[in-house]
Order: sequence, then C-alpha cells, then structure tokens
Amino acid sequence: MAIQGFLVVSLLFSCLAATSYGLTFSSLQESLIVTASPKHGQVLSAGEDNIVVTWSFNKSLAAGTDSSYKTVKFKLCYAPVSQQDRAWRKTEDHLNKDKTCQHNIVTKPYSSSNNTFTWTVERDVPTATYFIRAYAYNSADHEVAYGQTTDAHKTTNLFNVQAISGRHVSLDIASICFSAFSVVSLFGFFFLEKRKAKMSQAK
Amino acid sequence: MWPSRLHKKLYVTPQSTISPFKLIAQAAECGQADCTRSQSVLRIWKSLKLANIQRLSNMEVSYGAPPESVQKKFALPVDSEHKATEFRLFSVAAPHMRAFHLSWVSFFACFVSTFAAPPLLPIIRDDLDLTATDIGNAGIAAVSGAAFARVAMGTACDLFGPRLASSALTLITAPAVYCTAIANSPASFILVRFFTGFSLATFVSTQFWMSSLFSSKVVGTANGVAGGWGNLGGGATQLIMPLVFDLIHNIGATKFTAWRIAFFIPALFQTLSAYGIFFLGQDLPDGNYSQLHKSGDKHKDNFSQVFYHAITNYRGWILALTYGYCFGVELTIDNIIAQYFYDRFNVNLHTAGIIAASFGLANLFSRPAGGILSDIMAKRYGMRGRLWTLWIVQTLGGIFCIFLGKVGSLGVSIAVMIIFSVFVQAACGLTFGIVPFVSRRSLGIVSGMTGGGGNVGAVLTQVIFFRGSRYSTETGITLMGIMIICCSLVIMSIYFPQWGGMFCGPSSKVTTEEDYYMSEWNSAEKERGIHMASMKFSENSRSERGRRVESAPTPINGTPSTYV
Repeated sequence: MAIQGFLVVSLLFSCLAATSYGLTFSSLQESLIVTASPKHGQVLSAGEDNIVVTWSFNKSLAAGTDSSYKTVKFKLCYAPVSQQDRAWRKTEDHLNKDKTCQHNIVTKPYSSSNNTFTWTVERDVPTATYFIRAYAYNSADHEVAYGQTTDAHKTTNLFNVQAISGRHVSLDIASICFSAFSVVSLFGFFFLEKRKAKMSQAK
Repeated sequence: MWPSRLHKKLYVTPQSTISPFKLIAQAAECGQADCTRSQSVLRIWKSLKLANIQRLSNMEVSYGAPPESVQKKFALPVDSEHKATEFRLFSVAAPHMRAFHLSWVSFFACFVSTFAAPPLLPIIRDDLDLTATDIGNAGIAAVSGAAFARVAMGTACDLFGPRLASSALTLITAPAVYCTAIANSPASFILVRFFTGFSLATFVSTQFWMSSLFSSKVVGTANGVAGGWGNLGGGATQLIMPLVFDLIHNIGATKFTAWRIAFFIPALFQTLSAYGIFFLGQDLPDGNYSQLHKSGDKHKDNFSQVFYHAITNYRGWILALTYGYCFGVELTIDNIIAQYFYDRFNVNLHTAGIIAASFGLANLFSRPAGGILSDIMAKRYGMRGRLWTLWIVQTLGGIFCIFLGKVGSLGVSIAVMIIFSVFVQAACGLTFGIVPFVSRRSLGIVSGMTGGGGNVGAVLTQVIFFRGSRYSTETGITLMGIMIICCSLVIMSIYFPQWGGMFCGPSSKVTTEEDYYMSEWNSAEKERGIHMASMKFSENSRSERGRRVESAPTPINGTPSTYV
C-alpha cells in the first residue's frame, strides 16, 4: 500500500514537472531557412521518391544568435488538412504534447550555410499532406529555434505523400481462399447434419 | 424419496409390458405434485398421443433418480432430464463439460475477432487514412450487428439447436475477419467490422446451451463462467494482436502489411472453434436436435406465442436497457481504451495494449463473481436482494467511470479503470442472475433481447460520446459514467408480484410463482400438457422468496389470475 502511494505521488510529481518545464513552440525563434524540392501539391510515393532539403541560418538576424545551436533535427509534419478530425495529430503549443511532427527525417550537426541532403520517403509514411520542419537543439538537447518549408499559417509549399497500401497479391489470394473454404465447410456441415438425421430415422 | 419397491414397480425396462394406462394410474395415486413424476407422466402422455406402444416400451420412464445404467452413461451426476447437477471445471467429459469448454472457447474466439482492430488502430488509421469519425463509425458498426443477431440467435437455437446455430454463425462470420486483411478504405474497414461483429451473437447460444445441459442448481455458475470467459476475449485480443503484429513486423514485413497478416490469427482460431463445436459438441444430453426432432422426443413450441410472451413482458425490456449500460459500456471501452491510453498518456502500442487488456481480463473472475454474488444475495433476500445488488453494483460502476475520465495521471488512471471494470462486469453477471426468472416459456428470446440490448447500449454510447471530435475521449468517458447512473435507476421499476421489487414487497393479493409462470400458457396448451416444464420451474423458483416465512400457498389446480 505504501509503495503504491509512493508510486502514485512520484508519478503525479513527474507529470507536474514535465508540464511545468515544457518548452512552447511560440517561444522558439524562426531562425532557420528550410526549402524542400517538392512543389506545392506534388504527390510523392512512399518508399520511392526523394526529397532534397536545403537549409541555412537566416543571415538577416543578429550574428551570434546561432551560437548555442549544436544539432538540427528534421521532421515530416502534418498540414492542417491532414489534422482535421484526427486528434492524434493535433498541434499543441507545449512541445512535448505537440503531435504535429511525427516522422523523423534525419539529424544533422549544425552548420550555418551550404547544407543540403537527400531523403527517400520511408515506406511507413502514411498518405497525407505534409511540410518539413527543422528544430535546432542546444547542447542540453532542448529546442531553441526552428525553421519550416511553409509559412506561419501552413498554407504554402505543402506536398502530398501516397503511402504503400500494405496489400500484396498473395495476401489477397489467401484471404479469398480461406473465406471460400469457410463458406464451403458450412454447407458441408448442413449436408452432414441432414445425413445423420436421415440415418437415425432409418434405424 | 420413493420407497425402493415402488420405484422398481414404476420403472419400465425395454422388455417390460406394463400397460401405459396402469402407469398413469399409479402416478396419480402418489400424493404431492413432484415435478419429476409429472415430467415422466408427460412423456407417457405424449407417446400415447402418437399411439405407438412399441416406442413406449423402448423408452425408459423412471421416477426419482435415473437407474444405474443411465447414470453410467454420463461422467457427471445427472438429474431426471439428464442435465448435469455438478459443474466440474477441469473435466472435458462429453456431453456436458465438453460442450461448456467448446462454447466458451468459441465465444472467446468471436470476441477476439470482433475487437482485434482497436489495439492496432494507431497503425490502421494511418494505413487507411481514417478520421476520428470513421473510427467511431467502425466501432459502432462492430457492435450494432449483434444487437439484432442476438435476438435472431435465440430463435435459431430453438429451431436448430445451439450446436448448429453457433458453429454456423461462427463459420459464416470468419470470412469477414479474413477480408479485414484486404481492406483498403474507410468504407471497407467499416464493412468488415460490421460483419465480424455479428459473431457476438454466439453469447446467446452459449447461455442457451448451458441452460440445456446444466440443472438449475449449477446453471448460474455455468452461464456466468461461460459468459465471463468468453468476454475475456475482448481483453485478451488487446494483448494478442499487438504481440502478433510485433512478431510479424520484426520478421521483416512493413507495418502496413504486418497488421494485415496479423488478422489471420483470429480468423483461423474462429474457424477451428466452429469445427470443434460441430464435430465434438452435442445439443442435449440425449443427442442432437435433428435426431431428436425426427424421433419425436422433442416438442417444438409455437414461435408466435413464445415471441408474444417475450415482448409483452416489460421486465425483459428494462433488463435490456440496463444491460446496455453494463455490457454495452464494456464493449465501448473495448473499442476505445487502447487508443485512449496511447494518445492521452503517450505510451507505446504494446503498453497501451497491455493496459487495455487488463480491462477485459478482469472478466476472468468479475463476471462469474457477479453471478455468484447474485445467488448468495438471493439465498438470504430472494429476488429483492438480486435487484438491490444489481442496482448498487452498476451505479458504483458508473461512479468509477466518471472518475476514469477525470483522472489525468497514468498510474491512477489504470487503477481506476481496473476497479471500474470489476464493477461493470459484475453487473453483467448480476443481470443474468435475474434474466432466467423473467420468463420460463420465452427464456431464449428474453435472453436474446437482453443480450441485444447490451449491443444497442454500446451503439448509443459510441454514437453520442465517441464519434468524431465533438467530445474529447476523457470527457466522453465521464459523460458515459453519468449515463450509466441515470439508466440504472430503471431497475427500481422491476416488480415481480410473487417476490416484490426494490421498494415494494410481494403483492398483497395472494400471488405465487405458479401464477406468474402459468399465465404464459393458455388453457388449450395446458390441456395438451406442454406447460409442465414451467410447472417444475415455478416450484424450483420458490427459492427466490429468500429466507422469509413461506406464507403463500401453492395452488394444486387453481386457475391462475393474469399478472400486471
């Protein structure tokens, strides 16, 4: 009982701690410029097509702003149209509750200019509309800045991904065969039952 | 008990040539109404009607306990109807215990299939591009089919026997589970969940089968354990499916293929259980329906009469409503709880599955415990005790449901969920402690109505609270708890003239159990003697008076007054 009580209290504390610490998205500075190769409305196939991402520090901001940036993490984020009626993709200001960006692309060490990489859209990316966001982390692994391929209202430069369906011909055939087998067995049951009844009547 | 020489006189062996008229005369000589005797008299009467003396001499007619040769045929001790008087959990002896194990395993398989999708929804919703509305609709579809199917199943059991009815239903819904693997859109997903959900009607065949094979002393236990262990499937599937998915994913399939392959497991399980029932099961201790119908040993009741007496009994409707707020709530939680923990507390798929499973796994003991508690309260307080216990337990379930929606931390949420599950499932067991007494003639249809009401409750709750994005899941859970409390209040309106209700004692007019159950038969039917099973049941149900002084006399030949 005492241990249960202790567990409950420590869980409550950790939850409180997490929420009270949490960084918010609105506190981050948009200091990175990120561009991606897909045009607005382009459809990419998961597992096949590539995205070329170019990123750099926004030179118009004061020099020294980026002194704390150590690594940059790129994520694939859902556009508002793909978040509608899907609470599991909701945007929240608290970064540790935010579910907008659920697919990691790559993590790169920070450098202020001439950065580019190519990424093949992975096979487990679902069908939806996306944009790309980069978070800059400091040495304590906390977000300090960000940059994204779309504007603040998330209306421009959105591209689509068409996912793999996961279906295979062999699966289709197996499903249909087993289903047919079940139905045929059912008729077999009825036939057997009628025969048993007739036999017992004849006795 | 009978003196042995009288017993020997009355027992007819195949070689005997005692005239049936002499038998009846001897039966009439013997004093008080003993239902075993009256059942045997009924059998003689039926045979005479068929004017087939040869069949009579081949039939065993016994008074009191069946003779040694009959007893030896069965592994368990049986009564005069050959129903088992003991419930031995670890035996698989045919036909009683074997049928018990076959029926709970196949009901378990149907539950596993019906709720196989919810634990994998975080993967499926991405693959099929589902919205919250689609997911809600699929959850509703999964439980709505059985709302009607359960009522139809009661009739099917009556006509074809539980063995054929349940194996046929299990087999015909298996293709829906196989085809879940090839679903490719929200519409197809909703369709496969809809057709898979029909399999939940096997609840009725389970209860019907147990009631045919076990005597009234142990039928409560048999029904409660079979029902509870079947419902276990709703919890076990939350563990099984993520595990199977993980296994297949680790072997090398992508996530979007792995979940599809995973569905073959519940589908195969369902198919195999249907085969098991068909080849290893038996409808009645003496044989299967098709054989017994042809040989004339089983009487077929008039469907329209049975149906009329079921739908005009208001108690059946009330229990259908309240069952919607214990079992219906259980079904709803089975549908939403894994996603709730995954999304609200950010646990991974595996962990969400384990937590969700513990809700359904409580059925291992909580539903049987509800049935046993009902019997214990009835011993002391009779039917009034059963009613009060049901209301208290179900209301407490509602209160813990309100807490569940309010609690914001993972550990406390799990604890509250488990307490909530125990109360809600015990309420299910308690409900079926009352259902057998609502009607004797129409027991099948009343059970089907109550069972169907459970599914209707699940549909209603999901439509109002868990569809689309109007309420967050936690708000929906709290509101559901409030609805449980409100709908449980109708239990207060159940009143049995011979036993009373929650707030009133038995009727001041002299009303007996016979009056209540005999009013389901008209005088023409009574003349044919087909009401005898109800007579026997009325006598046995006198135990529902509890421990108070038995003041109401038993009419021997009175014309019963109609009730309510």
